[in-house]
Order: sequence, then structure tokens, then C-alpha cells
Amino acid sequence: MKIFDPHVHMTSRTTDDYEAMARAGIVALVEPAFWLGQPRTMAGSFVDYFNSLLGWERFRASQFGIRHFCTIGLNPKESNNPKLADEVLALLPRYLNKDGVVAIGEIGFDDQTDAEEKSLVRQLELAGEYDLPVLIHTPHRDKKRGTIRTIEVVRRVGLPEERVLIDHNNEETLPFVLETRCWAGHSLYPNTKMDEQRMAVLVKKFGTSRMIINSAADWGISDPLKVPKAIEVMRANGVADADIQRLVWDNPVAFFGQTGRLDVADISERPAIDRQQKFENNSVLRGEQITATR
Amino acid sequence: MSRAATGELEALFAAYTNAPRHTGRELMQLSVRERAALASAAPGSFFDRWTGDDTGRAVLLLTLAERAGADQFMTTAIGCYERGDSREQQSWLKALPLLPGPERFLSVAIEACRTNIIPQFESIACENPYPERYFPELNFNQLVLKAMFNGISLARIVGLTGRLNSELSRMALDYAAERRAAGRSVPLDLSLALTKDARTEEQLR
Repeated sequence: MKIFDPHVHMTSRTTDDYEAMARAGIVALVEPAFWLGQPRTMAGSFVDYFNSLLGWERFRASQFGIRHFCTIGLNPKESNNPKLADEVLALLPRYLNKDGVVAIGEIGFDDQTDAEEKSLVRQLELAGEYDLPVLIHTPHRDKKRGTIRTIEVVRRVGLPEERVLIDHNNEETLPFVLETRCWAGHSLYPNTKMDEQRMAVLVKKFGTSRMIINSAADWGISDPLKVPKAIEVMRANGVADADIQRLVWDNPVAFFGQTGRLDVADISERPAIDRQQKFENNSVLRGEQITATR
Repeated sequence: MSRAATGELEALFAAYTNAPRHTGRELMQLSVRERAALASAAPGSFFDRWTGDDTGRAVLLLTLAERAGADQFMTTAIGCYERGDSREQQSWLKALPLLPGPERFLSVAIEACRTNIIPQFESIACENPYPERYFPELNFNQLVLKAMFNGISLARIVGLTGRLNSELSRMALDYAAERRAAGRSVPLDLSLALTKDARTEEQLR
């Protein structure tokens, strides 16, 4: 089964991860811009980060036969540094038209402060101006309230709800999201957020319409193979293959493809691996023979 | 800034970084008499988890506070934090309630709570009277929830009882409901975050 992981922070992962993901059937992925575990102190750090998402990381993925797309945005945590936030928001338009940028994200709430709301509103407006969908992170703390508040902000700004993917849902938040026309993302984590068994229960209860699953793997305890693992668990729980296919391919492709920034023809086949290629004179090879495996 | 002043500043930053070379990194072994002296000099502060380098760095900041003007002190102290590694930042956060004009460093203290480095979060959230004294309700509540989320004992949050509020109770009860819905355990000390009214409600469930 072809798999699209619509949320995975590959910058934090190794080449072993890329190989395992390709072997498990992942053909394409979206890497959302997020925070790096500790606060950046200057806007220049974001320039280099965005450039690496669009440059080296996309190239690295291609060397393992995986199509890499990204979302660009100012995350909620760093929205609380007013000077930094203003400078980064001013940078965004420069990036939003670039090839491979398929949405604005991750944006949303963390502590649910006014500064976070201001940054969220501005980026929802930018999504309207640049004709992009948005990927919204929901907070770890006070999650249900944060999700409801997120939906209120989306409605106030007036971005069409079908352009909004609200992520990291659980049993408590999902019913609120499904009442809207927003898409509902679920991040499958080893210890927190959602797991495969609970996901199978949710799919059987709520169906697959506007439902999306992802690994959200990053620099913490996480697993870039969570989507393929969830497929096995859902099969074992009697979810039909056609429904699984919707979750792991059709839905993310439809969501990110809706404003034409994700070229569906482009991802229908796994890209050919050519490890003689270089990116600004850098290769993923470290002196070894060129052998590409799938 | 004159060359001499720049040199002095660089020397201070270097001393702040190098403190453990002079003080070691062991926990302070305070005598009963030293504890009593500290309790009257710095009411509300707890030194049980202070190490030698924490103390050395606190002394550097307090000496600077005596010698420099208020603005220069603030800029320099923030410089020690912003260019500090995690351990330097932990020392800084522990010393924060002892500094003159501590309320001026509120944004640094709130930012510090966003860290994913748990010992660093504990330096501001635990055995530290700063949040109780200066955090607005929203940030104080978020601190308590983050402690809960990370399995940190709520008893370590100084002055929690005095800062209980209905919004915090609601957040804690929502968190308990979320954990139950996910088939997960609820922190045993969650009731420490509940007001008396909310505690009764939780018991009635």
C-alpha cells in the first residue's frame, strides 16, 4: 500500500529512518516547520531552517526515493517572543510561493496566550492571501479548550474550513473537529498523543471522512514507522483496506492538493534514486559505493 | 561602552560560565545553622537542590547587582541567561527570586517554562517561589499543567495552594478526563491542583 505521512520532522531523523520508511511503503511526506526543542534567539535562524527544509532535506529524502514537501510557518511557542515573531512573520511571504511548500504550518496554540492568537490570526490571513491550506497544531495542555478556541479563531478569520487540518486529535477533541468542515489529524506516538489501537477504535466509530493519520516523528521519543504500523493494527481490527487507503493516501493527498500546490501526478510513482546527484556539492554518500535499494 | 567596561563584561560572562571549575558541581551540604540563616535572608526560597556552581553563579549576579546600575544589571544578567548553556540557565533560574527587581525578568521566566529540558523546567517550576509571586494566572496554570504532564510531583511547586483557581481546576479535571478517555492513568496528586469546590466535585464522580 502506498503511504503518505503528512506530518514528520525528518530534519531530526537519520538515513536509517529514511530507508526503513521507504521499505515500509512511504512514498511521500510533509515536513512541517516547527520548533527545535529550544527557543531560537534570532530571525536569521528561521531563514536557515526554512532554507534547509526546502533544500537539503528535500534532496536527502529524494536520495531514498521519497518525495519531500514542507509547510512553512511560525510555531506557537516562538510566537511568544514579540520581536522574533514580528520578524519571522515578515519573512513568511518570501517562502509561501516556493515549490514544495504545500501549506502554512504548524501554527496554533501552545500556552493559549494573546501573542499566540495574534500569530495564528496573521498566518490564517496569509493562507487566504497565498491560497494555501493550513496545518494547525493543538496544544498538549488544556487541549480541549485549545481546540475549541482554534476553531473559533478559524471561523472569525473566515478561512474556508476545508482548507484547515487540525492535528494531534484525541477522543476528547475529535467530535468538535468533525462537527466543522476542517480535517482531523491524529499523531501516533509511542507514549503520548494517540496510539494505533485507539486509532482503530476511532476509525470504526467515526469513519474515514476528513480523517488523517501521521507519525509526527521528531527529536523526541517518536517513531517514523507509526503510519505503516497503524495499517497493520487497523487490518487486524477489521478495518477494510479501502478505508485504510483513504486514511494513509487519498485524504492527505486531497487535503494538501486542494489548492494545486501538491502535484498529484508528481507523487503517483516513487522517484528514481540517483545517488550520484549532489546538493550544493554535498552527497548523502560518505565514500561508499553507489548502490540504491528499494 | 569603553574598552575597560567591555573587558569587565567579558570577564563576568567568562566567570559565570567557568563557575564550576572553582565551586564544583556537587549538591550543597548545608548545616542546620546555614539553613536557618538562608531562611531568614531569603524567605520562601529552598536551597536543597542547589549545587556549588548554582551558588557561585548566584553570588556573581548578586555582586554585579550591587556594583552596576539597574539597567546595566538587567542587560548583563539577561546576557548571562541568553548565552548560557542549559546548566548555566538552570543556575540563573534558581537565583532569580534573590535578584533585585525580580519582576523585571518575568518574560525570561515565562519563556524558560517552554523548554523541553525537564531539569531546566524544574529549576523554575519547583522549589522556586518566583512563579507563585510573579506569574500571571494563565502562565501559572500552564506551569502546573506542564508539571503534571511531565510526571513532576505537584508538591514541589511552591505556593500552589495559595494560587489555586477555578480555571486551573477546570484544566486539571479536563486533563483527567482526557487521560481516562485514552485509557491512561491519572496523576495521583492531581487533586493538589483543585480548589476545594472542585475537589468535592471530583470525589462525587
